[in-house]
Amino acid sequence: MKTKKLKKNVNLLLFCLPAFIVYALFKLYPAVSGVYYSMTDWNGLSRAFQFVGLANFTKLFSDDTFWHSVAFTAEYVLALVVFANVLALLLAVAIESRHHFRGTFRTLFYMPNMISMVIGGYMWMFIYTKVLYYLADNWGWKFLDHSWTGDPRYSFWSILTVSCWGVVGYLMIIYIAGLQGVPNDLKEAAELDGANGWQRFWNVTVPMIRPALTICIFWTLNSGFQVFDVIYTLTGGGPGDATQSVAINIYEEAFKGNTRFGYATAKSTVLFIIVTLVTLLQLTLMRRQEDEL
Amino acid sequence: MKMKKFALLPLTCLALILTGCGSQATSSSPKEEELNIMMSFPQYMDQWDAYCRQFEAKILKENNIKVKVKLEMPTSDQYESVLKVRLQDNDAPDLFCLHSNNIAEYYKAGYLADLTSQPLSAKIYENVKQMVTYENKVLAVPIESQAWGVLYNKDMFTAAGVTAPAKLSDLVTIVSKLEAKNYTPFMLAFHDSWVPQLMTALTLGGLVSGKLTNWVDTMNAGTGSYNDVKEIFDPIDLIMGHGTARAMEEGAEAGSADFANGKAAMYVNGTWSAGTILKTKSDFNLGVLALPINEDENCTRINLSVSTTLAVHPNSTHKDLALKFANYVLDDTDSSALFKACSFNPLASCHNYEAAAYVTEGMDYVKKGKSYKDLVLPSAVTDQQGKLLQEYYSKTVTKDEFITKMDATYKDAITK
Amino acid sequence: MRKKHISVGYIIVDILLIIGLLAWLFPLFMALLNSFKTDGELFTNILSFTATPSFENYVRAFTKMQYDKSIWNTILLAGLSVTLIVVLSSVAGWALCRTKSKLSSALLNLFVFSMLIPFSSIMVPLYKIVISMHLKNSLVGLSFIYAGLGVSMAIFLYHGFVKGIPYEIEEAAAVDGCNKLQTFIFVVFPLLKPITATIVITNVLWVWNDFLLPLIVISNRDKYTLLLSTNTLFGQYSNDWTGILSALILSAIPVIVFYAFFQKQILKGISDGALKG
Repeated sequence: MKTKKLKKNVNLLLFCLPAFIVYALFKLYPAVSGVYYSMTDWNGLSRAFQFVGLANFTKLFSDDTFWHSVAFTAEYVLALVVFANVLALLLAVAIESRHHFRGTFRTLFYMPNMISMVIGGYMWMFIYTKVLYYLADNWGWKFLDHSWTGDPRYSFWSILTVSCWGVVGYLMIIYIAGLQGVPNDLKEAAELDGANGWQRFWNVTVPMIRPALTICIFWTLNSGFQVFDVIYTLTGGGPGDATQSVAINIYEEAFKGNTRFGYATAKSTVLFIIVTLVTLLQLTLMRRQEDEL
Repeated sequence: MKMKKFALLPLTCLALILTGCGSQATSSSPKEEELNIMMSFPQYMDQWDAYCRQFEAKILKENNIKVKVKLEMPTSDQYESVLKVRLQDNDAPDLFCLHSNNIAEYYKAGYLADLTSQPLSAKIYENVKQMVTYENKVLAVPIESQAWGVLYNKDMFTAAGVTAPAKLSDLVTIVSKLEAKNYTPFMLAFHDSWVPQLMTALTLGGLVSGKLTNWVDTMNAGTGSYNDVKEIFDPIDLIMGHGTARAMEEGAEAGSADFANGKAAMYVNGTWSAGTILKTKSDFNLGVLALPINEDENCTRINLSVSTTLAVHPNSTHKDLALKFANYVLDDTDSSALFKACSFNPLASCHNYEAAAYVTEGMDYVKKGKSYKDLVLPSAVTDQQGKLLQEYYSKTVTKDEFITKMDATYKDAITK
Repeated sequence: MRKKHISVGYIIVDILLIIGLLAWLFPLFMALLNSFKTDGELFTNILSFTATPSFENYVRAFTKMQYDKSIWNTILLAGLSVTLIVVLSSVAGWALCRTKSKLSSALLNLFVFSMLIPFSSIMVPLYKIVISMHLKNSLVGLSFIYAGLGVSMAIFLYHGFVKGIPYEIEEAAAVDGCNKLQTFIFVVFPLLKPITATIVITNVLWVWNDFLLPLIVISNRDKYTLLLSTNTLFGQYSNDWTGILSALILSAIPVIVFYAFFQKQILKGISDGALKG
């Protein structure tokens, strides 16, 4: 028996080996060594570096720019989760209730998801820096006359708009699939009981699509925290550091200016801890609600 | 076993003979070598490519070596990080460009060869030479040097009846006279943070060289503060308050083009923008003036900087060739044509071409002694200056916050 | 037959959807519209069609971007990465599913837990590995990196799918004299087509549209992917809007064509993957 078990496991290892090698080399090892590097003063220029223990982390506590970027990212993620999911759900409901052209609507609304946020970001850049001003100047729509990418008060919303635009399609598809899974007889029974459209939606449909909600919110949280492409193209994190997300902060720390790699890795470790805590929290909360159902 | 040892002796002899023959043979057919150069001005790619071909031809003729020069030109915002990786990686280029402000840092890390005894060294103009010298050693070949301050539209100045200012109150008068003629005084293009940084470069430079000469030392010692130089905000506020609208959406290139098309009378940018300006409007009458900081005329000076230099890596495997190339950059016969083609300022005795009018205007200040060497501040500090000025313009940061944050950034940058 | 009655509410939602759709596609439309104009026309009338459409902007963008080189680089990168991911993950996912042991669950967890790790957390140490292994500017090396990053999700999906394949088929193959590997290649893998299709599509899109990783690994212009070369247009020639817009359209075309062909698969893959996960 034992040799059979051993043979089984050896076979398993052999089949998993190629995948494991690339995985360990490019995902596991960086994740682990990151923790090591965050305790050194490695900068990008000199070859030698020294172990400095927790010095980077203590420095991190008083690093205002970093915590500002964490706060900014948190606000952004919260807004994204709410706006993107509400919009996606609304679209899903609207499209699902159509009698015709459902497929067309789905296809077209999903399209922005296909192009990279870098391209999408630049297209929106054109809108924000040229088209809107044109409308403001020539059509008299003065409310459009703001620095949508230059003024921090407005650029938060510009970035959010572009992100939603790029993400809602994906969420909408999942919600549509979820909605399609709601059995019609439940809705009909509720209607017979005298429930109107809104009550039917809230009390029958929403609970039935809880799994979709959990997944969408999880996904929005996870990808929201890592936001880079859209901010890089629209504002570069600017003006100054006003719209800097954590990922951009880490990128600049490592690749611009002082290129303090050790310090940047310390930041990444902190980011990882934050993201893990938040997503674990979200998953446990929502799974618990699902179970209650 | 014994057989092997016996075989070894004649084999080594054979090998020695062969290499001997080999080197004799290559003296008649050209030796092949490769030279790796990394440069940071993709906008002059063609000119430098041509120059490398000339170098290859020259070396083949004079030294019978067939050189292949591999020229790499990453985009300018990636340049420094790419260079640092290559230097760390033992994959370093034989020659590479770097900003003169980084010379000390790179020398301490061991990446710069001493060029003092090379023929190129003696040809460099004295004031430019200072900028590539550290600890009395010439450590790089200067390539792009500027005498810069504020660019201005000569035609608009004549129309408004004003001339270059000597002190800040003059500049205030100029601004009102320009506005009376419906001209916008300043072109503001703050989308790229290095452009507003130029304002700090000029104001700090003028103030420090004219009045607070030991400010940088106090900052490096940790005893100084940006509060000492608070008056730089006087000209900065003037510029920001009388400039074009929507500055945050205007990139540097767009700013130069708009300036050439007459959108504003002055543009705080360097002579390196002249290329775009003259390409947009070839008959543009470009002038250069020194920015006044306060009422002290001694602070109104031109910034003399060497933005790009070429260094030789001390451990280069083709060091002789690399040194030859470095010397060729300031070659007596060929250098002038190259520098003129790239619109670089003349900076050595081998340069006998005529410089553009705006270059001479800047150099006039230098000749009168009204110039200073560009301040050497840590790059994290200059980066932050540009960014905070963007925020200051967008009103998300006050003067006092600017001062506090810059002090913190400076302290952080000097504790390594 | 239930009679469908069209209420006012229904029509309002229809109208809202159509307006929404127009707004949704507005940026794409604006980019396309203005890419055919000259610079002068662009600034005078942004919203109108041009009377004299010219492809000159496209030609300029094509050259500046080195489109032919970068599109080929991206095809190479995506193709190689996805092939690696499929080959490595399918066999691993199948083995993990079929082997019922403590080691198997431990390995599976090991592969899967890292899906939570944000890229920015491993970005810098990964960069260090890239340098030490001399992978900088290597598209082939980059493909292996993508493989390393992408196997987790793919193994998870393959593992789930293999559960639904009856083991009897493999037993039958063994009786016929196939060893384990042969069973996998000739019997199991063809049955994995549906999930392989989803994995291929998702990963091709991911690699094709990825920006940050190539940004830090590739600095040689000739090796730029499509996104990187589009990005350079923005930095250096930031005033050439007609050129930039043409470049954006050129970059978007391959993906949109891909979408037009594989649309059904893509949308189905998303809903299946998400809800089963």
